Amino acid sequence: MNSAALASQLLIGLSRGMLYFVVAAGLTLVFGVLRVINFAHGSLYMLGAFFSFTFATVLAQGQAGFWLALLLAPLAVALISLLIERGLLRFIYQREHLMQMLLTYSLVLIFGDLVKLIWGSQYQSLSLPGILSGSFTLGGVAIPWYNLFLLVMGPLVALGLWLFLDRTRLGKICRATATDREMVDILGVNSTWVFAAVFALGGWLAGLGGALMAPVVNISLGMDANIIIYAFLIVVVGGLGNIWGALISSLIIGVGEAMGALFMPDWAIVLPYVITGILLILRPSGLLKSVW
Amino acid sequence: MKRRKVLRYLALAGVLSLLASSLLSGCGQQPAAQKPTGKTITVGIIDSYTGPPSAYTQDALDGFQLAINEVAKQGGPTIKFIKRDDEFKVDKAQSWAKELVMQQKVDVLAGTINSGGTLAVSQYAKENKIPFFDWGGMSDKITGANGHRYVFSMLPNTAMIGKAGAVQMSKLPYTKYWLAGSDYEYGHSVVANLWSNLQKLKPDVQKVGETWWKVGEPDFTPYIASIRAAKPDAVIVGTGGADMVPFMKALQNTGLAKDIPVWIHTATDAGTLKPLGDNAPVGVLGTNAYFYYYPDTPANKAFDQAFSAAYNRHPTAFALFGYMTGKFLAAAVDKAGTDKEKIIDAMEGMTVDSPIGPMTMRKEDHLIQMPMFYGKTGKDASGKVVATDINTLPADQVMPNVDDVLKLRSK
Repeated sequence: MNSAALASQLLIGLSRGMLYFVVAAGLTLVFGVLRVINFAHGSLYMLGAFFSFTFATVLAQGQAGFWLALLLAPLAVALISLLIERGLLRFIYQREHLMQMLLTYSLVLIFGDLVKLIWGSQYQSLSLPGILSGSFTLGGVAIPWYNLFLLVMGPLVALGLWLFLDRTRLGKICRATATDREMVDILGVNSTWVFAAVFALGGWLAGLGGALMAPVVNISLGMDANIIIYAFLIVVVGGLGNIWGALISSLIIGVGEAMGALFMPDWAIVLPYVITGILLILRPSGLLKSVW
Repeated sequence: MKRRKVLRYLALAGVLSLLASSLLSGCGQQPAAQKPTGKTITVGIIDSYTGPPSAYTQDALDGFQLAINEVAKQGGPTIKFIKRDDEFKVDKAQSWAKELVMQQKVDVLAGTINSGGTLAVSQYAKENKIPFFDWGGMSDKITGANGHRYVFSMLPNTAMIGKAGAVQMSKLPYTKYWLAGSDYEYGHSVVANLWSNLQKLKPDVQKVGETWWKVGEPDFTPYIASIRAAKPDAVIVGTGGADMVPFMKALQNTGLAKDIPVWIHTATDAGTLKPLGDNAPVGVLGTNAYFYYYPDTPANKAFDQAFSAAYNRHPTAFALFGYMTGKFLAAAVDKAGTDKEKIIDAMEGMTVDSPIGPMTMRKEDHLIQMPMFYGKTGKDASGKVVATDINTLPADQVMPNVDDVLKLRSK
């Protein structure tokens, strides 16, 4: 085992973690601010991938299609999220969590059937743009360009979220709402639009995750269930509603999986769950402060 | 006031639409009554028409449809079918089997691409004495350890694939192997069969390590990088259905197949290569049951033309499995009528012409005897990625030993 292999595996693990982060960030944001457990987050991710497929194949041919899809697909998902929040979710904020879970779970089924109606039950496949396909060599180990691209996108999203939450008025209201919702209401802030904006942002992140994954996976029904388990693991380990916790835990799980594949390939498949278990035993309420 | 009116209209519209739909569906059921002349048999099809496996299951269904159309045109028995989607779930496959037999009164069952589902339906078929044609599940348990009188395998199982793959790899100068695959029945079964056969053919091979990932893995890069770091001579991969296309994409992006030879069953199949387009990796080794362009015989050309004319795409291996199921069933009904036990007696040892030469249903274990092909992905004259360097292995070289199979069953 040489150090180049180790370094490249670390890089691959980080890029995997970044992808988890993009999806989990949206989930934890909605969790923290709206206090809604959004089961449909995985469906929004799936929609992002399907939109990305449609935009990339219908709007433009070749290279431009991928980039256009990466821009438009998350926006389309954000729009749908906005409709969900204004049309459905806002009526049940005062209800018990069970009702919210029922609603978001029913959305999972509805979106599954909608996708089947629109795109059919066959899977779709999208190609990577030429500039991102192939790989480069680092100390004798090949790393795909696309993983490097994910490695750049992840921090960009994190930076954008930080700027939004820390530097904008809306972001500050979001954080305040997450900490003490009643106080925000008392201060006369119209929190309903904060909720709508946050839910749309969460949807945008899910859609972005889907669009980023579209060229490397089967775009198909069932991809929602695959990702939602990971997203929940990451959110719980990171501390419910804490975005930086989600960032740390997605990197831990991503790198952990990559190292597992290198050092104990027989056990790689259970590693994320083992890591989760250990972290939860050490810190039952999550790595960072949970808002709940 | 206004609101109440609207509600009333809505309710009226609802009642009317319910009435209309019940009337329409009632009408639809009437002409489905039985034809008085000729032999008629109804097949209950259970397969995964949702998600990634649908790329293969639709081919099987279309192949079957093509066969029964041809049979009907030639004045053979009338074959009807009712299909059900098991969504790749074992429990659904089993409950659809019950529904098809008890409610729809089908005579025989066919399907299913999920080997677990195949085993469940097979168990039901055994208990209720219903003939079951497996055209999707490849596990060697189906006609091996769990085999019985009522199940027929219409496609090469993992024992045949493993044997063919071992022949292919034994001709290459590699000794240090890495075994990898998707962590489910088919993945483990195909790798285990290939490895045990390869060890017999070439005793000096050694295993460097193993990697198993979960089905539906979103990113294969860490697994591929770790395999590359171990520097084996070659890699044997057991993956199919859901993971096949993304894994081939990952092979292309990481360039693994350029440095280390990789073997995957169906890597060279048209069903795998078509969705990859220009992104298909070159140099991937693999076995396959069918190519529409090889062997270049009139029978194969005719099948390709008939399938392409009907469905606007080339037939794949699964299209052939579905097609041959239709042909075998028609021949059996033609010979023996619609009695279930007599159909089984007729099937045993029966030989039917296929686009790639005659196929025989082996009497002892109900495993179809068909040739296998091996080759590797490469570019043809027009730059399209296809199977190249194709070799044929006749059926008798890839079939598992009958005595071994029967020994497994008695355990």
